[in-house]
Amino acid sequence: MNDTVLILSLASMIAAGTPMLLAATGEILAERSGVMNLGIEGMMLISAASGFWVTSETESLALGMLVGILAATLLATVHALLAVSLRVSQIISGLALVIIGTGMSGFLGDATTPKLTGRPPGARFSSVFPEGITGLPVVGPIVFDHDVVVYLSWVIVAVASYFLFRTRPGLSLWAVGDDPATADAAGIPVVAIRYGATLLGGALAGMAGAYLSIQILGTWQDSLTAGLGWIAFCLVIFSGWRPWRAMVAAYVFGALTTLGFTFQIVGFGVPTDFLAMLPFIMTILVLAVISSRPEAARRLGAPAALGRPFVRESR
Amino acid sequence: MSTALEVSRARLRLEPKERASLTARIVVPVASVLTATLGGAVVLAIDGHSPLEAYVELFQSAFGGRNPLVRTLLLSTPLVFTALAAAVSFRMRIWNIGGDGQLMMGAIAASGVAIALPRSPFWVLIPAILVAGIVGGMLWAGIGAGLKVFLSTDEVISTLMLTFIATHFMEYLIFGSFSYWRDPESVAYATGKPIPEVAELPRFWGRLHVGFLIAVLAAVLVWWVLKSSRWGYETKVIGDSPTAGRYAGMSVSRNIIAVLCVSGALAGLGGAVEVAGVNHTLQPTALETGVGFTGIIAASMARLHPLMLVPVAVFLSGLVSSGTALQQMGIPIDIVLLLQGLVLLFVAAGEFFLRYRVTLVARRGRR
Repeated sequence: MNDTVLILSLASMIAAGTPMLLAATGEILAERSGVMNLGIEGMMLISAASGFWVTSETESLALGMLVGILAATLLATVHALLAVSLRVSQIISGLALVIIGTGMSGFLGDATTPKLTGRPPGARFSSVFPEGITGLPVVGPIVFDHDVVVYLSWVIVAVASYFLFRTRPGLSLWAVGDDPATADAAGIPVVAIRYGATLLGGALAGMAGAYLSIQILGTWQDSLTAGLGWIAFCLVIFSGWRPWRAMVAAYVFGALTTLGFTFQIVGFGVPTDFLAMLPFIMTILVLAVISSRPEAARRLGAPAALGRPFVRESR
Repeated sequence: MSTALEVSRARLRLEPKERASLTARIVVPVASVLTATLGGAVVLAIDGHSPLEAYVELFQSAFGGRNPLVRTLLLSTPLVFTALAAAVSFRMRIWNIGGDGQLMMGAIAASGVAIALPRSPFWVLIPAILVAGIVGGMLWAGIGAGLKVFLSTDEVISTLMLTFIATHFMEYLIFGSFSYWRDPESVAYATGKPIPEVAELPRFWGRLHVGFLIAVLAAVLVWWVLKSSRWGYETKVIGDSPTAGRYAGMSVSRNIIAVLCVSGALAGLGGAVEVAGVNHTLQPTALETGVGFTGIIAASMARLHPLMLVPVAVFLSGLVSSGTALQQMGIPIDIVLLLQGLVLLFVAAGEFFLRYRVTLVARRGRR
């Protein structure tokens, strides 16, 4: 394989994996607290539309990202309200988020004048480092030629890992997801932590969506996430609910999306549909292996109370 | 002391209700739908449309007259099947959320059989197509069942993943390759091979095909079986408490497999009916509308009642079928999705008030 093709695909796989990584890290936090949010796709869509809209109007990246984050956090609040407070099935509530997010984003894309479709993004992120560094052989394009969001995602992964495994509130969050009744008895505020984790998950999905439309695609179209939110959902399981592993997996899955093109360039024929299936097949396999042995699931970090509402009265 | 302070000293107490009163069971869903309508009205008003006009148009174009009604009933047909698929499994707390994938595999199997038997009479071909759909959906859900029973893999994830795999597989058959399903003459724009004309489901009342009747029949059958058979009873008991079921000598594993296979069969039948009734070929874009997810919504709105979910499915389809008419009024077509989502949200939230009695009680202690 041609070296430059390899280097460029490694670089582009990092960019392509970043939205998945952000959304997956958010979902890891939520699921670790026991709240499964199937609505990532919906949250990403609403933030992709609103963020893109604001940036194309104001030419401000910061404002666009912020509005995207807020929009997705708002949807996540709905999920928390339904799933945590009103004890609606997390599956139903999550799917409702997907439908609302798809509807809202499509509505927004159509209702603005001129329509969002076909608009330029207004502004794009540029590389953080000067040309002298990005021009270095090999490490230049792969490590240094990225925008601020990519580096921010690395910081977020590091902070999330530290928070989950090295701090007291992080351990509380973990406890809430494993055994809410015991956590409650120990004085840990179960409901507050579940709300916090769900909203944080929404914020990160929002960052992912806005980054996707503004930066990676640089355009808006209906349902532009095209399943990335679902792949982020897979990543969570795939990574064993660990941000670091999610990072590796996100780049591998990111490579899968760019690999199709690379394969075409070097003339190696694998049907892209089968490449696209891989994340889902691998997720089933991983899940089958860990669920067949409970001790493996424990070791891997599957939250024991995932998906179960906490009802203090029925303890 | 002011009321505000009193409230701050009080807290909400929740008591589970044994059974909601009939009034509550009528008032709460109606109030939920009304609230959702109100939410939609706000969005419409912000976008500069008259909500009243829009809703009148919505109703007219979905239910006003024969043609609109037929269009709505056509759209509701696959939805009834996927809603039944969800209801059957959710009742036992088996969360088959892969109705979409099972419907697609049913459609793939059904269209495959139809193409393979071009010279058969209709009374052979149509049953063969329907059976193929059932088998296709059943096998696809069966994978989830096997994983659940033998490896205790969560069926939520496995059935969801299987949907995405089915989607890509179906796209491969038509767009990604020159497979048996693809019309070899379609080069610029790939389409599936048309099924023989005799395989098309007969139509009545304008464009409506008998698939709708099959859907209603399936709903009645499912209702009757769940209500009066031993199997229906067992799945209900296991859904309420697997331990109780086990102590009563019921096989939980066998019931999981049975429930998922029936669930997948219903969704697969829906796929076959779409192929034979509407598309007359394997048409991926027509099968990727998320009808499985909408079916879950319809089923949960109908509180998993097999007969109730039919009118709910028709109502939800009415929203979708009015989309084009609303678009002609200058309203973005996605408003119908938004409305669907809002209805679901508020109905799901309303459910809470049916299950719990919420009272404000004074906080004890500190004075």
